[in-house]
Amino acid sequence: MTATVNPAVTTLRQTAESEYAAELAALAKVDDREKPPRWRLSPWAVVTYLMGGKLKDGTVITPKYVGNQRLIEIAVATLATDRALLLLGVPGTAKSWVSEHLSAAISGDSTLVVQGTAGTPEEAVRYGWNYAMLLAKGPSKEAMVAGPVMRGMTDGKIVRIEELTRMPSDVQDSLITILSEKTLPIPEINSEVRATKGFNIIATANDRDKGVNELSSALKRRFNTVVLPVPDSLDEEVGIVEQRVKQLGRALEIPAEPPAVEEIRRIVTVFRELRDGKTLDGKSKLKQPSGSLSTAEAISVMTSGMALAAHFGEGTIKANDVASGIIGAIVKDPVQDRVVMLEYLETVVKERDGWKDVYRACKELL
Amino acid sequence: MPATIDILGVRHHGPGSARMVLAALDKLQPDAVLIEGPPDAHDVLSFASHAEMRPPVALLVYEPDEPSNAAYYPFADFSPEWQAIRWAQRHSAEVRFIDLPWSNRQPDEKKLSESSVVEDDTLDKLDKPDKPGQPQQIRRRIDPLEELAHAAGYEDGEGWWGRLIEEQHHQREQVDKGENALAVFGAIMEAMRAVRATEHVDEADRNDIENARREAHMRRAIRQATKQGFSRIVVVCGAYHAPMLTSDALERVGSKSDDQLLKGLPKRKTAATWIPWTNDRLSMWSGYGAGVVSPGWYGHVWEHADQPAVPWMTRVARLLREEDIDASPAHVIESARLAQTLASLRGRSMVGLNELTEATLSVMCGANPLPLKVIERKLIVGVCLGSTPDETPAVPLQRDLAARQKALRLKPSADDTLLDLDQRKETDLERSRLLHRLCILNVEWGLRQQSAVKSTGTFHEVWKLQWKPELAVKIVEAARWGNTVLEAAQRKVLNDARRSSNLEQLTILLDHVLLADLAGAIEPVIERIQTISAVATDVRHLLDALPPLADVLRYGNVRKTDAALVEPVVTGLLARICAGLGPACGSLDDDAAAAMTRRIDRTQSALTTLDRKDLIEPWYERLRTLGEAAIHPRVAGRCWRILLSAQVLDTADAARHVSLALSVGNDPAFASAWLEGFISGSGLVLVHDRTLLGIIDRWVCSLNGETFDRICPILRRTFSTFEKPERRQIGEALKRSAVEPDSRASSPDAISPVGYDLQRAELVTPILRLILGDPL
Repeated sequence: MTATVNPAVTTLRQTAESEYAAELAALAKVDDREKPPRWRLSPWAVVTYLMGGKLKDGTVITPKYVGNQRLIEIAVATLATDRALLLLGVPGTAKSWVSEHLSAAISGDSTLVVQGTAGTPEEAVRYGWNYAMLLAKGPSKEAMVAGPVMRGMTDGKIVRIEELTRMPSDVQDSLITILSEKTLPIPEINSEVRATKGFNIIATANDRDKGVNELSSALKRRFNTVVLPVPDSLDEEVGIVEQRVKQLGRALEIPAEPPAVEEIRRIVTVFRELRDGKTLDGKSKLKQPSGSLSTAEAISVMTSGMALAAHFGEGTIKANDVASGIIGAIVKDPVQDRVVMLEYLETVVKERDGWKDVYRACKELL
Repeated sequence: MPATIDILGVRHHGPGSARMVLAALDKLQPDAVLIEGPPDAHDVLSFASHAEMRPPVALLVYEPDEPSNAAYYPFADFSPEWQAIRWAQRHSAEVRFIDLPWSNRQPDEKKLSESSVVEDDTLDKLDKPDKPGQPQQIRRRIDPLEELAHAAGYEDGEGWWGRLIEEQHHQREQVDKGENALAVFGAIMEAMRAVRATEHVDEADRNDIENARREAHMRRAIRQATKQGFSRIVVVCGAYHAPMLTSDALERVGSKSDDQLLKGLPKRKTAATWIPWTNDRLSMWSGYGAGVVSPGWYGHVWEHADQPAVPWMTRVARLLREEDIDASPAHVIESARLAQTLASLRGRSMVGLNELTEATLSVMCGANPLPLKVIERKLIVGVCLGSTPDETPAVPLQRDLAARQKALRLKPSADDTLLDLDQRKETDLERSRLLHRLCILNVEWGLRQQSAVKSTGTFHEVWKLQWKPELAVKIVEAARWGNTVLEAAQRKVLNDARRSSNLEQLTILLDHVLLADLAGAIEPVIERIQTISAVATDVRHLLDALPPLADVLRYGNVRKTDAALVEPVVTGLLARICAGLGPACGSLDDDAAAAMTRRIDRTQSALTTLDRKDLIEPWYERLRTLGEAAIHPRVAGRCWRILLSAQVLDTADAARHVSLALSVGNDPAFASAWLEGFISGSGLVLVHDRTLLGIIDRWVCSLNGETFDRICPILRRTFSTFEKPERRQIGEALKRSAVEPDSRASSPDAISPVGYDLQRAELVTPILRLILGDPL
């Protein structure tokens, strides 16, 4: 990051710690409670940062996570006890979001990330080598290229591992020593890296995907698990979508007006009904589509709707602008999901008062 | 020297309250301890310190004349009142119950036995000193505790009180626990005073009047104690009442107005005793009880006051392991640590149940709530049954029951246990008899289960036993029937029999009598059945009564009951049935006919199992005449079918009857109903008897289209009762007969079962081929 250009202007998406730098600073100022070693904030302040609230000096902290405070408390307490934290949940339940903000608030750095994929090598978790130097001088400290975990250990920071269950099992298991003994052995040079206080790991995993590598029980035992649920109520979910859409709209500089709550409510209703397989009034049963229809998807439907409305529409979101997004989110399987969507349109949407425009817009596209 | 009066406002079940009461008592060293409780139970109070008394127990106050009017006052180890009683008895201080005697209370019309003491815990409240009750007007039914908790920012009153008082632990360095406890009680008093001051009292409201009376009585008792010369008096009562019992309040109200309030109250005779209680009943989960959500947890806090987390987690791990869920010591350590961190994050001095549960979920269960659900009841409620010393006053019936239980080695337990009784063994037979007798007395300790082993053996009986504390009341209730289980059961049966004139009920009763081996009751009950059946006009009831009696006659000997006694009843019943069956089957509509058919079937199978020629022959004779009578065709058809199955009727005869019923002269509706009665149930007869099948086949074929449409549903219904292979075999048989023309020579006019004429059909095939473009 060069200092000449203000990153806030050019970066597509800023890290949590820079986007919310002001809030973090304000929290640090009022925070007089005891902090675990190398934590920037006390556990209480971390919870406040995530859940939002008003500080003594009047600073308003925006809520980052809308949901049950207890879950965040458990998560923070887990990190404070030096146990690793595993955030579980179906896709789109803000797991990565929470983990990013937790590490931003605790270590002031959310960039130590290992992205778990089927091809994540062990080096990504532990360390790699600068081969030129390795060949020239043989194995030495200087020839090593530290991975995020190793850096987190030396600096005493929180390391995030995204999609832990997508990693191959042998790579997952290389975490066991790190978590239980807090050391990373380097057998090549007969040395080891000992973790500095403040180091910990937040892993995220989704429990919906097929074909993931189930954690070994040895590894599982080293994690405290917190399940982030889909939002409890319609209002809560509408609130989340509204807040995020506003923020994203600002960040992406979409010239459209943020959508009306009513519009969001309709989209969230569609998503919730199909996700739960029944209408909100509980009166009729619906087929469920194959996708997970998370809150995150509802957010992206709204933002793409905003973009459509701004560039091709009338500037305010209409049913036409979101219809393609809705269909895109729901119809993941062109045959089965299409049937589900058609049935939903014909039996539920068509009958609903004031939903004619949604019905027509979606019908056109199907 | 004037007496000092200290009021300790508590919550009825709470380890923190209990501990503080003890500390305060130690500090104050009173010579009289007055407790909010029923004075009716004064005589049995001394049992509290008996060596064999183990809480949870409850005081049972009841009316000896009408034992179902009863109230329970449950006590756990962690009940402040219980600890106060024990303290007073240890220190030889006077201990008294001072609440309004239960005998003076207005019986609440219908929910007496149900609601019992619950009223107390909606009343006992308290508050945090720095946050006096803010709501301007609190109706007691809104529950001030909840209100105060909300004001302090808590979700529920229980959690708030629990955190403030019950889970507070005493730091070791604290110099004077007693001083601290007294300060807390002072604060509670302040808070409650604020609540009471803003409270709206409705003069006409039943609960409010009752409450005023109770407080008046408590004040009177306190005055009395002062007069008797006790110098240091401590009153332990629900926090809600505390402000109304202080010496100020005593002066303010004055004894005159209290006497006024207490004048003219009803007076009933009551008796009191201790009964064993369970944790289940202490918890709200069971709908009533004394209103503690988590007695298991409170009990734990009482035992492990200083460090509840680790022992609690060890318990969780043990329970999980019992359910085959991995929970290692490492898990225990980690979850205890997490719980403690959570507590400090939330600014609590000690971990509470919430933190522990959340930690368990996160560390031990991988955030999967299912394993926790499995152990929830054992863990949080706790399966625990108290016991009372043998000397506790008890109704003779209860003592007899205890003796029987001991003799038969059947120990009452709060947990579900399955008991498989083999009645060929003497002890098991006795046990079974005892359980049956208790069932008769409505003491449902055991529930008869469907035997898991094949039900063919009549000597096996499976019972599910679970002792519930309210059974103690049922026993008291049953005590009016007699002083031993046998005697009481017998009298109850005789009474029931006298009062019942329903034949079916009586037969069920007889069944119970035989199972419970109430020798003295058998004869009267049978006589009663005889009498009732003689005047019974409805044959349907007689038909219903016969099968169970036949069962008794057949299997009674296994249980060593004198089945011979039943025989005359069965014979008599059958005679009456045979006499009345004809008229009973006349003018039935379709539904009634179906019901009647089922009854006849049941009677038939009962008689078949009896296998007695002398009984069954008149029955068959009756069926034969019935079949020919002008009754509902379905019943008639059934009669013939039974006779055919019993081989009383030969197939030729049967064919004749079928043919007669299905002949052209009969209305097709009649014929189809008859057929339904005749063949429904099993198609085997049609598979094996081609003649019958032929007759039916011909009849179906003879129907014209319109009639066939009308009859088809009934036929379909009839045939659908057959097993699938039967249907297939019938179909195959019909197909064969269609192919072999000689077998249907007798019916030249029948068309092919497939429904078309092959020859004529062949005429159109060339054209069809042409249209469909078939090269052939």
